[in-house]
Amino acid sequence: MTRGRMWRLLACIGIAGFVLLPLVQAIVLSFTTTLATEAVPQGSIGLHNYANILRSPELRASIGNSIIYVLLNVAFCLIAGLPAAYGLARFTFLGDRHFLMFLLAFRVTPPVVLSLPIFILFARSGLVNSPIGIALVHCVFNLPIAIWILESFIAAIPRSFDEMAFVDGHSRLSFFFRFLIPAIAPGIAVAAFFCFIFSWVEVVFARILTVTAGKPITQAITSLFTFRTDWGLVMAMTVFSLIPGVLMIFLVRNQIARGFVIRT
Amino acid sequence: MKPHSNAAWALMLPAAAVMVFVAVLPLLAVLNYSFHDIFSLDKVFWVGTDWYEMIVATPRFWASLGRSALFSTLAISVQIPLGIAIALMLRKVGPRGASLMLMCLAIPLVVPTNMIAGLWLALLRPEGLGGQALSALHLTLDYKFTALHTWALILIVDTWHWLGLVVVLAYAGLSSIQPAYYQAAAVDSATRWAVFRWIELPQISGALWIVLLLRLVDSFMIYTEVMAINAGGPNDATTFLSLELGEDIKAYSYGTSAARAMVDFIFVLTLVWVFVKLRQSGEQTQGGPP
Repeated sequence: MTRGRMWRLLACIGIAGFVLLPLVQAIVLSFTTTLATEAVPQGSIGLHNYANILRSPELRASIGNSIIYVLLNVAFCLIAGLPAAYGLARFTFLGDRHFLMFLLAFRVTPPVVLSLPIFILFARSGLVNSPIGIALVHCVFNLPIAIWILESFIAAIPRSFDEMAFVDGHSRLSFFFRFLIPAIAPGIAVAAFFCFIFSWVEVVFARILTVTAGKPITQAITSLFTFRTDWGLVMAMTVFSLIPGVLMIFLVRNQIARGFVIRT
Repeated sequence: MKPHSNAAWALMLPAAAVMVFVAVLPLLAVLNYSFHDIFSLDKVFWVGTDWYEMIVATPRFWASLGRSALFSTLAISVQIPLGIAIALMLRKVGPRGASLMLMCLAIPLVVPTNMIAGLWLALLRPEGLGGQALSALHLTLDYKFTALHTWALILIVDTWHWLGLVVVLAYAGLSSIQPAYYQAAAVDSATRWAVFRWIELPQISGALWIVLLLRLVDSFMIYTEVMAINAGGPNDATTFLSLELGEDIKAYSYGTSAARAMVDFIFVLTLVWVFVKLRQSGEQTQGGPP
């Protein structure tokens, strides 16, 4: 082994250690009983915390709630984002640069800035406590991301690809579903990945829009912090909340970084 | 050259409609509230720019702004160079090892924001792995009462959270460099620095701009982690702009929090504007992307 390789190996171990250490701690705690009960003494190792998640209707429901609004958000972002990305990739039009700048400005708007009026607006529209409300509001930061990613994937396909389909007599709609969407499938996967992740981890909007019902997984974890916090249960829930994201990382590992280029 | 067609606006309609409902209308509402004193939703009085004048006149606001700016600067100057360095190193360890490391580095990105700090606090409890390691080394991390330690912990936690994004995007940019560039550099016997400056940096700049911008605004308005670690303490030492805004919102003072939100929004918007201008002038001097 050359010296360079040894240093690189050491660096990789160091980085992996830094990244994984808090996660290892969480996994260890998630299998440890931190709050003793009559049946289970403190410090015993086992699946008690995970069993407690399944036993609690609130915790179970929160997992379902999160999954529903995240999937809805991905759907909204793709449905509204695909036509916009296509238009931006294929045409110039009056105000196109301003539209991109407008998207950028709202992608970077801190959620706290908008939280109060969004609550009032959504309460009036009957969208509080509903997964549709959270899915819609997460579009503030996810729709611009989806448009950027999809636009760069569409722009990478030559225009002759579109024209060939039109020459063959396909309508724009038929072209969209039968040619464009299959051609940019990896781009759709990447856009869906980022929308999924950013919606899954967001807490500010998800908290203010769920007053009495529809609590997401993040809120369920926060509500576990009490005077005597059961750290084992908190960590079991956290580990649980990582599973979909880690699965997504594994699925898109080869595409994850493509097409993440911003245009203004 | 793309054809010009204003009919393409029809394709923007669904996206524009969503953005108007969830972003533009709320922003206009914030702007409207910021000029009013709001006791309840039906007792509203026009106060003009009073709130703004009050905010600008408080030294605490300027101190928070300074702390936010310092934190942003620190976060970017640690995370961006470190991320690029790791990406450059991963280019040499082979595709399988690199893929494994990238997946590992991406995991913190999928941790719910409110648990980022929770994971670290669990690690640093006296009986946690980190707490035990620290006490074995006779070190103390007094993040509750020593401001420097609080800052260090927030910076470490934020770096842990976002380093993966920098590495992933920089690595992708580096992977797209044609081997011919490196061969040409070898023929010219270019130094390692020259290769980085003139071949690698231009190739990753597209991806780096976005990560730089996202890190800039997100670190400037960092909230959840700071709140969980020490709620702005000790003695306001980690009270950033967003925490001051959070205090106002929690106190239900709609008028002041709206004015504060507008001020913060204007700062963020100015940052973005400067950033875009810098980028455009950078592209002009370098000939721009293809």
